[in-house]
Parts: sequence; C-alpha cells; structure tokens
Amino acid sequence: MQYALFYAEGVDALPYVPADDNVGDWVDDIEARGISEYGERLRPEQDATTVRVRGGEVLVTDGPFTESKESIGGFDIIDVRDLDEAIEVASKHPVAAFGRVEVRPFMQWHDAEPGARIVPDGFAEEPEPGRRRYLMLVVSDPAGERDESGDDDPEAWVAEMDARGARLFGDVLHPPADATMVRRRRGEVLVSDGPFSEAKEWIAGFDLLEVRDLAEAIEVAAKHPMARGGTIELRPLWPFDEHEDHVERAEREAADRDRRLEPAAADALAGAAL
Amino acid sequence: MPLAPEVADALRDAYRAEWARVVATLIRVTGDWDVAEEAAAGAFERAALTWPRDGIPRNAGAWLTTAARNLALDRLRRRGVEAEKVKEWLMDERLEGRADGPPDPAEVAASGGLAGPAGVAGAAGSAGGEPAWDDRLRLVFTCAHPALPMEARVALTLRTVGGLDTVEIARAFHVPAATMAQRIVRAKRKIRNAGIPYRVPAADQLPERLGGVLAVLYLVANEGYLASHGDDLQRLDLAAEAIRLTRLLVALVPDAAEARALLALLLLQHARSAARVDADGDLVPLGEQDRTAWDAAEIREGLALVDGFRGDPPGTYGLQAEIQAVHARAATEADTDWRAIADRYTRLAQFADSPFVELNRAIADGMAHGPRQGLVELAGLEASGRLAGYHLLPAAQAEFLRRAGQPDAAAERYREALALARTAPERRFLERRLAELGR
Repeated sequence: MQYALFYAEGVDALPYVPADDNVGDWVDDIEARGISEYGERLRPEQDATTVRVRGGEVLVTDGPFTESKESIGGFDIIDVRDLDEAIEVASKHPVAAFGRVEVRPFMQWHDAEPGARIVPDGFAEEPEPGRRRYLMLVVSDPAGERDESGDDDPEAWVAEMDARGARLFGDVLHPPADATMVRRRRGEVLVSDGPFSEAKEWIAGFDLLEVRDLAEAIEVAAKHPMARGGTIELRPLWPFDEHEDHVERAEREAADRDRRLEPAAADALAGAAL
Repeated sequence: MPLAPEVADALRDAYRAEWARVVATLIRVTGDWDVAEEAAAGAFERAALTWPRDGIPRNAGAWLTTAARNLALDRLRRRGVEAEKVKEWLMDERLEGRADGPPDPAEVAASGGLAGPAGVAGAAGSAGGEPAWDDRLRLVFTCAHPALPMEARVALTLRTVGGLDTVEIARAFHVPAATMAQRIVRAKRKIRNAGIPYRVPAADQLPERLGGVLAVLYLVANEGYLASHGDDLQRLDLAAEAIRLTRLLVALVPDAAEARALLALLLLQHARSAARVDADGDLVPLGEQDRTAWDAAEIREGLALVDGFRGDPPGTYGLQAEIQAVHARAATEADTDWRAIADRYTRLAQFADSPFVELNRAIADGMAHGPRQGLVELAGLEASGRLAGYHLLPAAQAEFLRRAGQPDAAAERYREALALARTAPERRFLERRLAELGR
C-alpha cells in the first residue's frame, strides 16, 4: 500500500536538535528496502501561499492554511506492506523524535489498474532548467462556503495540467479519520488516531507542480475545482543533502528560515493578471 | 417450536466458545469483515434449524466454521465482482488439502470434525508463510490496533471478538444504538482504508501491542465494574466478557505475565460482585460486605494466579491484582493488611502519576495508621485540585471524619460527595451514611 508521510511539529513538539538528525540513515534504509517512492523537504510556512476562489475572484494570501505547529515541513511517499510497516518506518524518521509524523493512505480507486503507482515511472528527481517545483496541497473545508461556478470534477484540470507539463503527479488521500499519528518520545513509539475535529480544514490530496514561477503556480492552483470549495496551499520545495552535517546546514539556513523568499502573494497575483 | 433444552444449551455454549474462532477464520480467508460476520451469524442460524433435527455435532466448532465458509463462498460468488477472492479462497482450500471445496457440514459432523479445537497458540496454521498463530489472536490485535480511537477499539473487540450484539454494546455504554453501529462501521472502514494488518504483530512490536489489547480489556471490565453513570451500578455482562476475553488471551499467549496479572485482577474484582450490592441494588462498602457471598471459585483462581507471579516485579495489573488479593485473603476489614495495600499503591504511583492512585494510597494509609493520617493525606490531595469534582474524595474524607468522631464535619463532606455522585446507588449509599450520622 502507498502512504504519504507528512512531517510537522505538532502541539507537543520538542526543540529540533540538528546534531541528532539522522535523516540520511533513514533515507538509506528505506531506499535499501525498496519502499521509498519520493520525498522532499518544504520551505518553512512563511513561504506558503494559499489560493482560494470565491465569487469568481482569485484570493491569495501569504502563509499556510493552518496554524504554524501543524504546518507541514516535508513529506515522503512510501510503498509498504501495511500500516504496521508504515508506522515502523515513520517512527524511525528523525521528525518523530521531536515532532509528529502523520501517516495517510492514498485512496485506493476501484477502477485503478493493478500495481498503479502514485509516482510515475521515469519521474525525474530534478526540475527542467528554469522551472520550479511546488507541492500543491488540496485542502478540504467542510464548513467553508462554496463557490458553485464551474465543474467540480478535477479530471479536466488534471488533463490540462498534465498536457502543459505543469503537473507531475498527484492523488487523493483517505480522510483524516483514516490517518495515524506517530511520535517517538523517550524511546517509546506512540501511535494514535488523528486528533481531528470534523469541521477543521484538512488535506484531501496533493499534486506536485513544475512551473515557471509562483505566478504560474497560482494560476494552476486557481483553476483546480477545490480552489472554489476549499483552499489550495502552494509550498516551494526545499531540497537538501540528507547526508551532510546537519549542524552546519542548520547554521547556514538559520538566516533564511524566518523570512519569506517567495514573492509576496499579492505581487505574484498582480503579475499573473497581466 | 421451542428448542429442546439440551439443544438450546449446546447452541449457547457453541456461540460463546466458537463465535470468535469462526469469525476470525472467515476474516482471514475472505479478507472481508462484513461477509465474515454475516456468514458466522448465518451459520449459527443454520445450526438452530438443523441441530434439533439432526442432533448436535460432535465438533460444533468445525461444523460452524464449515457452514460459515459455505455461506461466505455463496455470497462472494453471487457478488460476481469478487471472482478474484473466490479464486483465492479455492486456493486456500487446496492448500489445506480439500481440492473439492468445503465439504458439507453434515459430513463434517458425521466424520467427527475436520480440525480439532485449536486451543493454544500455534495450533491453527494458516495457508501462507506466516507463523501459525491462532486466528482469534490476529482478530484481537486488529480490533485493538492503536491507530483506532479507543472507544472504537472497545466496541469492535466486544462486537467481533466477544460476539456481542451492537444493541447490547450500545446499551452497556449508554449510547444510542445508531451511534454504536456507526462507531463500528467507521472502525472497520479504517481497518480497510488505512491498511491495518490482520496479523499478530512482529516480535519487536508484540509486547507494546499486547499492552494495548490489555488496556482495552481493562477498560471493558472497569466499565462493567463501576458504571460511570446511570442507574445500574454493575453491568455484569461487560466484566464477565472482559474476563472471558482475557482468559482467551492468556490461553493464546501463555507466557504474557501482564495478561495473567490482568486476569487475576479481573477475577478478584468480579468475585465480589454479588456482595457489592444489596437486595435493593444499593452499594455495600467493602468493610460491610458479606465475605461469604464472594465467589469462592473466582477467588481461588485469582489467588492462584497471584501466587504464580514470578520473575520481573509486577506491573500495573500485577500490583492491582496483589491489592485485590490482600482483600480476598482478609477475613474482615480490620484484619486487612492495609500496609501491604499502601505499599502497592506507592509502587503503582511510580508507573503513572495518577490522582486516583494517590487517593487510594491515602485511604490505605488512613486504614493502616488511623483516620488522622488519612485526613492529612486527603487534605494534601484536595489542595492539589487534581480531583476537583470527583465524589470519592469528599466521600473518603467524610468516612475518616466519621471514624475520627467528627460527625458535623463528616456530614458536610457527605453532602459535598452527594452533590457530585453520578450513579443512583452511590447517591443512596451516601444518603444512608448521612442519615446514620443524624446530622
């Protein structure tokens, strides 16, 4: 089964200790086991851009859709035997020791071809020159108002964005009720069902975009049907060498960690309107 | 037509003894919880029709499993879309050496059964390369999986392993039947969607997961031991169900010390059921209970288990079982070794920082060293504010004040407890105490 692992601090986070970061060993392990599909770190939440369409207007804001502690700092897609193996893999990730890992199964479509993959064969790890990648989180808001203009079927959007080369892959996840939270505290693996209330916004699925810039990402996101009923969050990827010295890396990145490197959402939107 | 008593007894016994085995086997073979439960229920219905006519089969478990397999197979075939599963099923039959498919239940009965009762761990093998765990053990671990919400684990364990009706479970937990049904449906959906495996966890996860299973059974028993609200102080069914399921776990994992400790605890608690309530359904405190009304067989079994504790120092269930054993061995309240009890509560407090453990330790200290000591410790607990709103704190203070000869202060505390008590029998008990004080 294929699962998405989402990394976040969570409400009971401990401080991140770069010297304890063993993510390189973790990656080596899941690659050696052949269960790693794809994963990437995301720029911190101040580089998130949220996109909604209401009353035909595209509304963009800087920042994530959710509170900071729950904002996702990275993700992996793994293909394992069952939930117990997913829990075992998640519990060994360094984030589990100070934050939390959310294990979310991908939707199993009845009409899917046997052995269908989330990450397609021949997927290139690096973007084309001059293009950038964004993780596009599709956020459902059951309590939110809906803009009823337009078709709710995402198939047309997928076909258009695939043809343009703007969408690399993506899929729908089972809802938060089917999620499992994994943490590691004092050497003990803590497993629980998600602490979700029904009314809160939650991630319903995601796509990986490859576009020119934030303006194009906003344009692509605004066309997604869920931009009208929910929220789309765009997160630039933040690749790093998982085998480097994490103390040095953390020092080097410290300056960039707290400021927005992306253009302001309003400027990007103004640019896109031209 | 009413069933002959021996057939009715045989059906009831078979249901208690075989439900979990039949469902667990069917889930393994079909991979479909709903089909498995419907087929198991159908097999018992079929037994109710044919056993009065054809006699009770010698191996009721094998008869029922085979009947349920046939019903499930029919159902899967009728669905058509499940052709792949039916193929797997037939494959499974072949691996078990019955290439012609499941035999007729009547033949099974005539030949004295296909497979003998599995009984202990490892006796019932599966077709794949997995360790040969009893199917019921897979079921127990899946129902108590930590990815499920606790209330769903409890409900699913009682429904699927315990064979209790959804309506019965709903009544026991004082929730509408529709709520309970939805809780169970959601749990099954999560098992499927999230990929919760149907197997006994690997050795490195086993101790932790076993602890999770015991926590579910402990919760079920406690719900039965002291109803958290409502008018029935005890719901015997739940406590008895928890004992039955814990006994099953002990049989399946004989070297699990904490499972045996839990069984001891539940038996020793349950032994006092009849003496805990009087003819009017009112609470009888431990000190006033008729100890001859305690269930001698349960006490004997519980004490034997406690005497058998070996090796590692006891964990939380073991310590609680030892406390109950001290009570069980005492002829009267005054004869009770309260120092031993206080010692166990002190050790329990090292496992979990719980105000309820502190409360019990304070009571034990008061019984061991006099009401004054008890009142000092209870005052400390009250000042901490950790038991604010919990009726047993003022009730314990009232009890020690009464014993210390301070009836006015005791009455005030009884009134406080009365305002907080949640069950009618507990309120009546406190009212009686208050009346006895004449204040």
